[in-house]
Amino acid sequence: MTDYGHDLMFGTFVTPNAGAVDLAVTADRAGLDLVTFQDHPYQPAFLDTWTLMAYAAARTERIRISGNVLNLPLRPPAVLARAAASLDVLSGGRIELGLGAGAFPDGVAAMGGRKLTPAQGIAALSEAIPIIRDLWNTGTRERVDHRGEFYQVSGAKRGPAPAHDIGIWIGAYKPKMLALTGRLGDGWLPSLSYLPNGAASLTDLNARIDEAATDAGREPSSVRRLLNLMDGAEPEQLADLALTYGISGFILATDDAATTERLAAEIAPAVRDLVKRERG
Amino acid sequence: MSTEQKVREAETAPGPVVLTDEDGGLDPWTAAVWLAARNDNLRITLPGAPAAVSSDMADKAMDTLTALAGPRVSTGDNPSRFDDLPASLVKFEPGDPGYRGRSSTYMRGGRPALILRPRTPDEVAEALAFARRHPELQLGLRSGGHGISGRSTNNGGLIIDVGAMNDIEMLGNGLVRVGPGATWKQVAAFLDKYDLALGSGDYGGVGVGGLATAGGIGFLSREQGLTIDRLRAVELVLADGTQVRASAEENQDLFWAVRGAGANFGVATAFEFEAEEVTEVGWAQFVLVSHDVAESLKAYGDVAREAPRDTTVFWLTGPPRQGQSVIQMYGMVDSGDADTIIERLTPFATTALLAQQQVVVARYADVMAQAGDVGPEGHHGRGEPVARSGFLPELTDAFARDVAELLRSGQVFFFQLRHMGGAIADVPAHATALAHRTPEFSVTAIGADRRGMDEVWDRLMAKHFDGLYLSFETDQRPERLHDAFPAATLARLRELKRRYDPTTLFRDNFAIVEES
Repeated sequence: MTDYGHDLMFGTFVTPNAGAVDLAVTADRAGLDLVTFQDHPYQPAFLDTWTLMAYAAARTERIRISGNVLNLPLRPPAVLARAAASLDVLSGGRIELGLGAGAFPDGVAAMGGRKLTPAQGIAALSEAIPIIRDLWNTGTRERVDHRGEFYQVSGAKRGPAPAHDIGIWIGAYKPKMLALTGRLGDGWLPSLSYLPNGAASLTDLNARIDEAATDAGREPSSVRRLLNLMDGAEPEQLADLALTYGISGFILATDDAATTERLAAEIAPAVRDLVKRERG
Repeated sequence: MSTEQKVREAETAPGPVVLTDEDGGLDPWTAAVWLAARNDNLRITLPGAPAAVSSDMADKAMDTLTALAGPRVSTGDNPSRFDDLPASLVKFEPGDPGYRGRSSTYMRGGRPALILRPRTPDEVAEALAFARRHPELQLGLRSGGHGISGRSTNNGGLIIDVGAMNDIEMLGNGLVRVGPGATWKQVAAFLDKYDLALGSGDYGGVGVGGLATAGGIGFLSREQGLTIDRLRAVELVLADGTQVRASAEENQDLFWAVRGAGANFGVATAFEFEAEEVTEVGWAQFVLVSHDVAESLKAYGDVAREAPRDTTVFWLTGPPRQGQSVIQMYGMVDSGDADTIIERLTPFATTALLAQQQVVVARYADVMAQAGDVGPEGHHGRGEPVARSGFLPELTDAFARDVAELLRSGQVFFFQLRHMGGAIADVPAHATALAHRTPEFSVTAIGADRRGMDEVWDRLMAKHFDGLYLSFETDQRPERLHDAFPAATLARLRELKRRYDPTTLFRDNFAIVEES
């Protein structure tokens, strides 16, 4: 039994095409906490996810917005840090940064990004996160310098500062990525259907994150556990995920307005009730 | 004023806003997208292209905003590379909104330095004057962006995109006037209101200009002739900028040349076709399974050869899987009568084991309308297509055996026969620049590997063919010009090329060059 005690968040995972803005507005009006978009720019039918996020943020009022997850090899950290902080400022603190090491290396290369091996992708991500955090930190006037294997930043001015502490949520499955998530992440954002044994895998994967967090001198609870649900969601299932596996962010894949509304109006309150009852 | 204050003011401002890039300030691209979403009428100037890892990513961002908000954002300091661009012409350079969707084609990736999009024949002439001033830029012509043989995109060159010239107008007596940028799907939908139709190819998304200057082997060709056989007049802008009209009455040489080799002679700005009455048609799609693809192909050939002119069925397969070939047939019977349709199609459906069938009575326009619309993002082909073509005089046993071997080679993932004969063969060889009038089939194969494909094609297929359909041939070896045009046709084309395009301005699609 693991419960990291976070407030529960409910959101949707929306295909980044022409209908996505309307679905974000639907989710916002319905009262969901979060709307997220996958990031596969090499897929011609998809819109550019960052542009879509900024557009959706401007068309919504309360909902938080994140990539799910953004493709780091196509989104250099200095560009991403500035863009995310800017949108966080404009949206009144509604942006979270779902980030991944980048799948589909051939697709990445076709769009002019660097083709990295999985190991290189992890190394690049562990360079990128400190750069992003540095650029967001305007508490000092010191310029940002970073001489890494994958990214070089020389004498960059910091800022803008985000309007709130933007969470960096990492899409991770394998041991090295899970360790990175425990060490550097504010959140973990996998998809249930990609877990080897479904929800049962979460115990072991959580433990790896917890261990890496502890090793880095952090509380395991400093990493929020979110989960993409690609095949529907029912209240008892989600409550069990929250109470048994410590999941506090439920992101349902849907491009359907009625399903979005039902998540907000029926499923989320039911799960909150069940969890509240158990947590006491 | 901070960049944030500026954005806040612009959220409700009536007038345009010019965003700047300040150290430590807001990201101009994110601010521009935010503003475009918040203020529906605001025009926004950016200090530069969106910050991105690559120009492809920056273009994708710009195109996404154009798709979401319309073309309201421009980059102020993205000056044209060219200082002699005609001011009136619509242009797209890398980084311009809309560039990315027009830089690639249906099957080919490209990154031209400049795309000009003329809206009138005068603007075509201006674009051609620009092309003459810039011989260093490879010139390509683009209508619908489906060209396989024609380089309707390139890397670093100039594309004249006639997609905006897409008017369709009824002239009466079955005559329809069509711009080169219309698609065949649009033409079909327009003619449908008059119970008329005009054969094109097999895909409604294809543009008029490229097809109507090359041939057009489609579902009505056996009854109506090729698309070029329905052409009654064409208006062109020649290499020197002259605007001419060609028909059986005037500029007869050009009229002859445009029908089969049009890409060599000018930019067509309008076509006048004679359509024919077509109301309901039978439309069939079959999936068959065969353990002996050579035998099934032969059986198809026997049926197709005997079919009446109202019946046209194309044959398509790919590499066999576990010794089994999946064959798709799709075609049309120009009749709305169910019994006639079934009678015509049954022999085709029994050439192998029928696995799926769909036969409907439909309008010709409905069949064309199955093609997807090209959205604001345009085409996104990548790389270079590897396609070969041949006109097959007779589908023999030896051909069928060699096709089976070709398919087993794994080099070909798409292998198609288009059913010819009928009215196509009524036109004498010398009447148009497309001289190959008597094949039974037009054969097209698409592969992935240039050398592997050419090796199997040259070894197994070439001996069966007499000529090729130039639109589907991507082999650049000089012999192909002789396959496209028999000697007498080529001699006449060369003479006309010397007269109408002496500097070989038009050379991106089967360039008619002198004997080397």
